[in-house]
Amino acid sequence: MIGTILGHILRFLAMILLQVLVIDHLDVLNGLMVPYLYIFFLLMLPVEMPAWAQLAIGAVTGLVMDFFASTPGMHMSACVVMMYGRLYVLRLLSPREGYEFGSRPTVMRMGFPWYITYAGLLILLHHLWLFFVELHRFDAFFFTFLRAVLSAVFTFALCLLAQFLTSGQERDRR
Amino acid sequence: MRDLFRFLYRIRSTLMFLGWLILSFILLYNGNEHHRAHAISSSNAVVGTIYGWRKDITDYANLKEVNKALADENADWRNRHISTYTPVEGLFARIQDTIHRQEYRVITAKVVNSTWHKPKNQLTLDKGTRAGVHGDMGVIGPDGIVGVVRDASTNFAAVISVLSPEIKTSVQIRRTGHFGLLFWDTNDPLTSSVIDIAKHARVAVGDTVETRGGDGIFPAGIPVGVVESVEDAPGSNYHDITVRLSEDMTRSGFVYVVDDLHRAERDTLQQANER
Repeated sequence: MIGTILGHILRFLAMILLQVLVIDHLDVLNGLMVPYLYIFFLLMLPVEMPAWAQLAIGAVTGLVMDFFASTPGMHMSACVVMMYGRLYVLRLLSPREGYEFGSRPTVMRMGFPWYITYAGLLILLHHLWLFFVELHRFDAFFFTFLRAVLSAVFTFALCLLAQFLTSGQERDRR
Repeated sequence: MRDLFRFLYRIRSTLMFLGWLILSFILLYNGNEHHRAHAISSSNAVVGTIYGWRKDITDYANLKEVNKALADENADWRNRHISTYTPVEGLFARIQDTIHRQEYRVITAKVVNSTWHKPKNQLTLDKGTRAGVHGDMGVIGPDGIVGVVRDASTNFAAVISVLSPEIKTSVQIRRTGHFGLLFWDTNDPLTSSVIDIAKHARVAVGDTVETRGGDGIFPAGIPVGVVESVEDAPGSNYHDITVRLSEDMTRSGFVYVVDDLHRAERDTLQQANER
């Protein structure tokens, strides 16, 4: 239990630092794709976590990102929306006999079809919200939509990569 | 009554969600006015330090370019220095000049972090209130304007880049003196727009755009860019001008924070007038 919590804290720090030190400085096609990998930490939170804790952790994570990006409230609102959506997506995707206690939302555990629905929906929700709040207007709707979707695809690929790269310790902990 | 409580209990996660959402929207909409929300920025000491680490490593990659830019700028100043001019006539001698007084002071700062590919861009500088940097000061680079300080902590400052629709800088066409506002709506880090220049003004491609000054943020005559295209949409009274920015915002080396020494005096006078 302590090990798991430590794992989450380490993942939080690693993802935030990776985001602000490396990924924010990627310039893919002149800013067409801006991946936000830090939400991988939120996607990896335990399935059975109580709703209030999920929302609170989402809010705090977003706020930390807001400090780095000097955008009060922007990442925070996107993360809170995503975590609220996560409650429903998890309920929607739950197996007939419910989730096993302590099961983690990973590709290895849940299978690829489950994961692409789960992560795909949530990443898309987060990115659409973020990009439209960031732009703050609805003209150039299709361009922003395109940017959000392309960035979401990029983030999803990075999430898969991050999972396979850390899958060694995953198997040990199980 | 019991039913009400039971209902509220059942939708508790939705209520909590709304609570967080409202909180984040308060931050989002008061971010630029409210002082405490203002402090959510990269001028935060921890954030600035982390960006500083990154800069310490990446600095080495462009030392050559930064050195060349600094040397070029040094040469430029040297060309303007009094010792490079000889008096035309022996009759004139330079004496203590009491006509000019110093109006601006510049503080050098290093850019520790910058973005240019987002809808709103920002920079973080490694100088803060200890070095005399405060909010609403202009930031200029060797080639042109860079942004406006949004917020400063003891050792760091967060700057709103000119590549952000949050700031509108008062600029003018150097040749004709017509003035308008620099407003970034091109979504391209190399260009920006100038709005509010009336159609009767004759603006040509290639005209230099410079700051107008007088706003207490930028001195007058700081280069902004060169007019790249002038379009006249029918039905509008204003030109649609695109400017190629003279400062390369995708490059970040050293910048200068402009401190207007007479700002307090002017601000108090203007406030007294407004009342």
